[in-house]
Amino acid sequence: MKRRSMLLLGAGAAGALVVGWGLLPPRGRQGGADTLPVATGEIGLNGWIKITADGKVLLAMHRSEMGQGVHTTLAMLVAEELDVSLAKVRLIEAGRDTLYGNVAGFVAALPLHPADMEPGRETQGVKAGRWIVAKAARELGINMTGGSSSVADAWDVLRLAGATARAQLLGAASLQWRLPLAELVVADGVISHPSGPTGHYGEFAKAAAVTPASSVAVKEAKDWKLIGKPLPRIDLVAKTNGSAGFGIDVRLPGMLYAAMRHCPMLGGNPGRVDGDAAMKLPGVERVVRLGPYAGSTAGVAVVGRSSWHAKQGAQALDIEWRAPPAGTLDSRQIAAGLEATARHAASTQGGFPFYAAGDVQAASAAAARRIEAVYHAPYLAHAAMEPINCTAQVKDGKVEVWAPTQLPGMALALAARTAGVSEDAVTLHVTYLGGGFGRRLDIDFIGQAVRIALETNGRPVQLLWSREEDITHDFYRPSGAAVMQASIDAQGAITGLAITSAGDAVTPRWMERGLPALSGPIDLPDKTASEGLFDLPYAIANQRIAHVATRSGVPVGFWRSVGHSHNAFFSECFIDELAFETQKDPVAFRLSLLADMPRHAAVLKLAADKAGWGKPLPAGRARGVALHESFGSIVAEVVEVSLAEGRPVVHRVVCAADVGIVVNPGIVAQQMESAVIFGLSAALHGRIDIVGGVVQQTNFPNHPVLKLADAPRVIETHLIASTNPPGGVGEPGTPPVAPAVANALFVLTGKRMRGLPLV
Amino acid sequence: MDLSVNGQTRTVADADGDPSMPLLWVLRDVLNLTGTKFGCGVAACGACTVHLDGQAVRSCVTPLASAAGKPVRTIEALGTADQPHALQKAWVTHQVPQCGYCQSGMLMAAADLLAKNRDPSDAAIDAAITNICRCGTYPRIREAIKTAAKALRGETGSPRARSPA
Repeated sequence: MKRRSMLLLGAGAAGALVVGWGLLPPRGRQGGADTLPVATGEIGLNGWIKITADGKVLLAMHRSEMGQGVHTTLAMLVAEELDVSLAKVRLIEAGRDTLYGNVAGFVAALPLHPADMEPGRETQGVKAGRWIVAKAARELGINMTGGSSSVADAWDVLRLAGATARAQLLGAASLQWRLPLAELVVADGVISHPSGPTGHYGEFAKAAAVTPASSVAVKEAKDWKLIGKPLPRIDLVAKTNGSAGFGIDVRLPGMLYAAMRHCPMLGGNPGRVDGDAAMKLPGVERVVRLGPYAGSTAGVAVVGRSSWHAKQGAQALDIEWRAPPAGTLDSRQIAAGLEATARHAASTQGGFPFYAAGDVQAASAAAARRIEAVYHAPYLAHAAMEPINCTAQVKDGKVEVWAPTQLPGMALALAARTAGVSEDAVTLHVTYLGGGFGRRLDIDFIGQAVRIALETNGRPVQLLWSREEDITHDFYRPSGAAVMQASIDAQGAITGLAITSAGDAVTPRWMERGLPALSGPIDLPDKTASEGLFDLPYAIANQRIAHVATRSGVPVGFWRSVGHSHNAFFSECFIDELAFETQKDPVAFRLSLLADMPRHAAVLKLAADKAGWGKPLPAGRARGVALHESFGSIVAEVVEVSLAEGRPVVHRVVCAADVGIVVNPGIVAQQMESAVIFGLSAALHGRIDIVGGVVQQTNFPNHPVLKLADAPRVIETHLIASTNPPGGVGEPGTPPVAPAVANALFVLTGKRMRGLPLV
Repeated sequence: MDLSVNGQTRTVADADGDPSMPLLWVLRDVLNLTGTKFGCGVAACGACTVHLDGQAVRSCVTPLASAAGKPVRTIEALGTADQPHALQKAWVTHQVPQCGYCQSGMLMAAADLLAKNRDPSDAAIDAAITNICRCGTYPRIREAIKTAAKALRGETGSPRARSPA
C-alpha cells in the first residue's frame, strides 16, 4: 500500500494549519468527488456521500432493503462518522460503479474451517485466501445483497467514507475561518468554534470537495453515539401507511400489465399456442412467447390493461406444453438417488472432502461403538410475500427497469442483453423488496419483463407472476441427504466423525444462469453444499466431511442460510444423538467439545442460562438446543416445545448470538425473530414435491407457512458484547431452529426425526 | 360505476369496470391506490385486506360489483400523517415491519379487530389475524395490537416497547 502525505500550509491568527492527505490504497472503494451525479446545489465528496445546500447528507444506497433493515444500518455507519443524526441522512440510488460491488459476500464463499479463522487466530492460509478473493471480488464489482454480508462489507468502507467527508468539511471550515481544525466541534452537521463561528455542512461542502482530508481515522468504539443503539428504522413509517414503494407498486403513465404462464413442467416449453380466445377478452392486448431467461422455464405472457385483465387472458390461453427433452423430474426419485449416492460415497470414501483431520477410518476401526444415521431434507420454495414482478420500458433505444432485486448489476446486464443494447443504455431502479430470502438473487423475471417490453411500442409494462407461478417456478433450496457416522471409544469419547452428503450445488448453477462467462464445463467444489457440516466447531480429532455434488436438473437457488438451512439440521441433530448415546446432557456434551472455541461456548452458555436449561418445565413440555455458526456469526437457540394432537407447538425460543460488533441491536433482535419464524415454517411445513416435472404445491392453502396463532409467543434475543467486526445477521438465526425443535421432540417422544419437515 | 373510497367518490370507467373484477385490482391498477397488496389471489394471505362497509374483507376475491354503494377504506386512509391510527403508532413503537409488504393488510385486519373488541385476548388476536407474514413479525404484531388497544381504551402509561437486546 502506498501512502503519501501532502502538507498544506496556511497562515492565520491561530498559526499554521496543517492538513495532511492520506491517499487510499489502490482500488479503494471511496470513489471521487465526481463519482456521483450532482443536481444543482449538491456537492459530491466521494462515491458515497453528497452534501446538499441546506446541509443534508445524501448517501448512495447500494444494498437492497428486503426487510433486514440494511438501509437503516448502513445509514447509521455514515451518520456516526459524520456526526449527524439519522434524520439528516437521505438515501439516493447508487449507480453502476464497481465500488458498490460486494467483496465480503464473495470472500465468505471460501471453504475455511472455523478453527483456522477465529478472530486474532487466523492462519496465513486463511489470510492469503481472503486477500486473493477480495482482490478478485473488487475487480468484478458485483453488487449483491445477500449472504448476510452487507454490514460486514460496508463496515470499513462506509465509515471511512463518512470520516473522510467529515475531515474535508472540517478542513474547509478551518481554512475559511482560519482557526485550528482541532478546536472545531460538530453537532448534528453543524460545525462551530468556541469563539463563535458556526455553520452547517452545506456551507462548507463546495470548499470541502477541493480540500484534501487531514489524516483520517474512524472513531473509536468509545466515541460512538449511534452504533450500538436500537435506533428506529428509517423505513417503518412508510411501511405502516401504504406509501412504501415495492416493485409491484411502480405506476407509470400509459403502463400496461403482464401475466405469466410458464410450462408447468420445469424446464419444459410451450408448443402450439392458441391465443385467440385470450385476445377476444376485453382489456387483453398481446400474447408474447417467452424463452428461458437466466434459468427460467419457458412460457407465454399476456399483456393487458390491468394485472387482472392480463391474468384473465393468460388463463384463456390454449397451450400445448412440451416436456423437456431430458425427461421430467420426480423429487421422490431424486431423494432416493441422493441417499443411495451418499451411502455409496460413505462406504468408498467418496465425494469431495471439504475437511479432513486425522484418520477417520482408523478411528472407526478402533472404536468401541459406531453410530450411524441418515438424514434428509426436501426442496423448499421461498414464497416471499411480494410475488415475483418487474417493470420495464423500452423506448428510443433506451431501457428503463424498476425491479425488486438483490442483484442490480447482473439484472442490468441481462436487461441490456435481452434488449440488444449496451449497458449504458439501461437504467435500473431498485425498489423495496417484499421479501427476498435469496429468491431475488435470481434475475429470470427481469429478462422476461424486458422481453415483453420490446413488444409494447414503448409503453412501460409491469410483469407480475401469480402466487401459483411464484411457487411452481422458484429456484428451490436443494433436496439433500447425509450419512452421519461417529466413532466412540470405550470411555465414551467421540473419536471420529464422518459425514458424507449428497445434493445439488447451488453456486455453479447460479453462475451458469447469471454469469455464464465465468462458468466452466466443470463445477468447482461449492462450499455452500457442505457448509454447516465441514465447518463444525467441535473438537473431534478424526474427521472426514465430504459432499457429492449432484445435478438433478431441478432449478436450485439460494434460500435463506443456503446450505446451513438443512446441514445444521443434520449436524446438530446428530450431535444430539451422540450426547444421548453417550448419556450426556446436550449442553454439557457440546461444551465438552468446545474447549478451544470460547466464543461458541459462551454463546451456548448464554442461551442455556437465559432459557433456564435444566430447570423443570410444565408437564408435556421439553427443551431442545442447537448451536450453529454461519455467515460470521454464532447463534444458539433453546426452544420449548409441546405436542398438541401430535403436532409440535413451539412456545418459547431463546436466542443467544455473537454477531461481532452490534450496529443496531433492535434490528438484530428483529432479524433473529424473523429467522426463527422463517426456519420454523420450513421445519414444520416446508416441502416442495415434484411429480412428472410439475411442482405439486401451488399456493398457501397447499403450501402452508406459520401464521400468528402458531408462532412462538416469546422469542428472546441475547447478544454477546464483542469487539470483533460485524458478522451477518439476516440468516444465522435460521439454521439452529429446526434441529432445536427436533431435539426437543426427541425428548418428548423418544423418536428421532431425521427428515424434514417434522410433521 | 361510482365507488366510495376513503371518503371520496371515484368513478371507474366502464371499460375498466368489469363488475367481476376484484376490488383489489380496481384499487391498485385503476385508482393507483397501491398500498393494498396482492399476495395470493385466493383470500389465503390477507395482504389485500381492506374495509368494506366497515368490515375487513380480502379484496382479491371481492368483486367490484359487491363494493358498489358501500364505503371502502384502504390503508391510505387508516390514519393521516398528523394523526396516525393508534395501530400505526404502535407499529412504529414496537418496530413491527421488516420487508413491510404484508403490513397494510395486517393493519387493516387489526383495525377491524379493535373496532369490534377494545380489549382483545391472545385468543381473539389469534382468531382475527390470519394474515401471512414471511418475515416473522407475528410476536411484535401481537404486542403492538395490545398497545394500540390500550391507547384506544384511553389507558395512560407509555407503551412498553420490546426490549431490543
